[in-house]
Amino acid sequence: MIRKTAIRPFRASRASRVVAVAALLACLPAGRTAAVEAPADPIPRTQPLWLGPPAPARPARVISLAPSLTDTVIALGEVGRLVGVTRYDTSPEVKSLPRVGGFLDPSPEVVLGLRPDLVLWLADGGAFPAVRRIADLGVPVLALPVVGVPDVLRAARVIGAALGNPAAGERLASEMDAAVRAAELAAAALPRRRVLLVIGRDPLVVAGPGSYPDALLRIAGGENVVTGGRPWPIYSLEKAVADDPDLVVDAAVNEPADAIQRLAAIPAVKAGRVVRLPDDRVLRPGPQLPAALAQLQSALRSELRPALRGGAPAGEPR
Amino acid sequence: MILRRLTAALAAGLVALAASCAAALLLGPQPISLAAAFAGVEPDAAILFGLRLPRVLLGAMVGAGLATAGVALQALLRNPLAEPFVLGVSGGAALGGTAALAASALIGPATMLGALAGSGTSVALGASVGAAASTALVFALGRIGGKLVPEAALLVGVVFNAFAAGVITVVKVMVPPEDAARLLYWLMGAVGYADPGTLVAGAVLLGLAVTVLVALSAQLNLLSLGDDEAASLGVEVGRSRGAVFLAASLATGAAVALAGLVGFVGLIVPHLLRRLFGPDHRVLLPASALFGAAFLVLADAAARLAFLPLGSEPPVGALTALLGGPLFLWLLRRSDRSA
Repeated sequence: MIRKTAIRPFRASRASRVVAVAALLACLPAGRTAAVEAPADPIPRTQPLWLGPPAPARPARVISLAPSLTDTVIALGEVGRLVGVTRYDTSPEVKSLPRVGGFLDPSPEVVLGLRPDLVLWLADGGAFPAVRRIADLGVPVLALPVVGVPDVLRAARVIGAALGNPAAGERLASEMDAAVRAAELAAAALPRRRVLLVIGRDPLVVAGPGSYPDALLRIAGGENVVTGGRPWPIYSLEKAVADDPDLVVDAAVNEPADAIQRLAAIPAVKAGRVVRLPDDRVLRPGPQLPAALAQLQSALRSELRPALRGGAPAGEPR
Repeated sequence: MILRRLTAALAAGLVALAASCAAALLLGPQPISLAAAFAGVEPDAAILFGLRLPRVLLGAMVGAGLATAGVALQALLRNPLAEPFVLGVSGGAALGGTAALAASALIGPATMLGALAGSGTSVALGASVGAAASTALVFALGRIGGKLVPEAALLVGVVFNAFAAGVITVVKVMVPPEDAARLLYWLMGAVGYADPGTLVAGAVLLGLAVTVLVALSAQLNLLSLGDDEAASLGVEVGRSRGAVFLAASLATGAAVALAGLVGFVGLIVPHLLRRLFGPDHRVLLPASALFGAAFLVLADAAARLAFLPLGSEPPVGALTALLGGPLFLWLLRRSDRSA
């Protein structure tokens, strides 16, 4: 009974859908492009994807919907073309630019008001309805899934090409690629340390496999003590104690430094084997990549003192 | 007499709806010119017709659905505190919709079955089924000695809400982060940017539910007297109640599928209207549809504008809860005194 009643209107809606959409579009002034019917799962998860109409060859008014994408545009030397960024953007180069909202809640109205000819979007489920609407209303959107290190390199190339400056994109990507190779070489000379990457302390959130900091740590030559399926697990303190990391990297840069003592049950914290990162570079998948690798490697090196080395089991080389 | 009151209520409702729609269409973070918008000048036209108009339509539909569902549940439970959100019906709808989204994420959204499970239609279907199931649960477990006890039903609803919230939290941990973000955005209770297809499907569902409830409004008057009294006056109690129950579930399910958890609309609007137009459901129900629509459109515009300096907008559900929570407590204290 329940099912029957609930299903019937859907059938009716499917039949009347075309008519009704047409009626809705008829309200729009003539000459407007019709809304594009989106595919079933259009949130790109692996490949960059264009939404909306084709972008001009050299876009002049660009909006970035993520600080890491803003970083990329700045690194490409194209900051002059940015007309809007998120409220999380802190780079001095974009300090005076209008803010268009956040990751979850970009305001389509503010975006359209800035008359962009290209929107860069770090593909994410939360903002998808708003971003799709922006694209449907005639703004070219470049959706970039950026999770791992290869994604960062590819984003530099793709954004460079989208801005009509593929050479700069290529240069930035190869710079980062070279930094990755150099870090890998340097990693071979480092003893393998087992590391816990703390992202948040209350609750304890750590970087797990599949997260960007985990990928950086692997390249830098560290071994993440966190295994399992989740990229950003809420971790049990008990588990962290049992994991007994050689080193705790404190990437919770927005929390006070001394609050790490809350985790004093972890032997490494108690023994002071904690390296606090100066900024959130390891959390920003973008052109800060070489600097982030350098931060992690310096953290791994800082624990080369013999007193600490004794008890630490050497990990298997990979 | 009834006709005059109905006319007055509907006229007032239409004026309120027109006024709140005008406000929501004209005001926003981006100043626009109406003349430019109608002349097709961008971005004014895109902002007015592509962003504000669909959002106003969505808000109006969701508000009408939630307010009428509130009136219907209050009549069925014979208690002014009954409301889709408080009774756990919205929680059940959220759980049903979440199940559909989670199924899509776990099957793999790239596969046909996964995409089907994650589509707006199946989320709406899941939400409607969840709403109906939780309504059934609340009314079945809210009985003591075979008699429906409103306080017991409300308590079941509150507990079921907590349970649903727990399950949803677990699901959020289980699905991939990008799906969790999508889930979070939906559940926040934001009137956002549904695509035209979803808008039309929602309009059909909500239109059907509200029509059924308005058609049954005379019987709601009798049902609110009590089962025995209604039966003695010729109402087929089981059947009428079943129809009201299904229509209210459908309205809540569709509203939740479209806008997530927007609470207390079904409490605030009917309460206000009872004071203005009296308790007759033949007036109250159609008026609730209009005033509910007006209320949520206005609340959404207010949410959009109030936090403009912060460059952010809270979901409208936060605003309705801000108004509805205290009202609920006040009504509770008052009913306590009268009892």
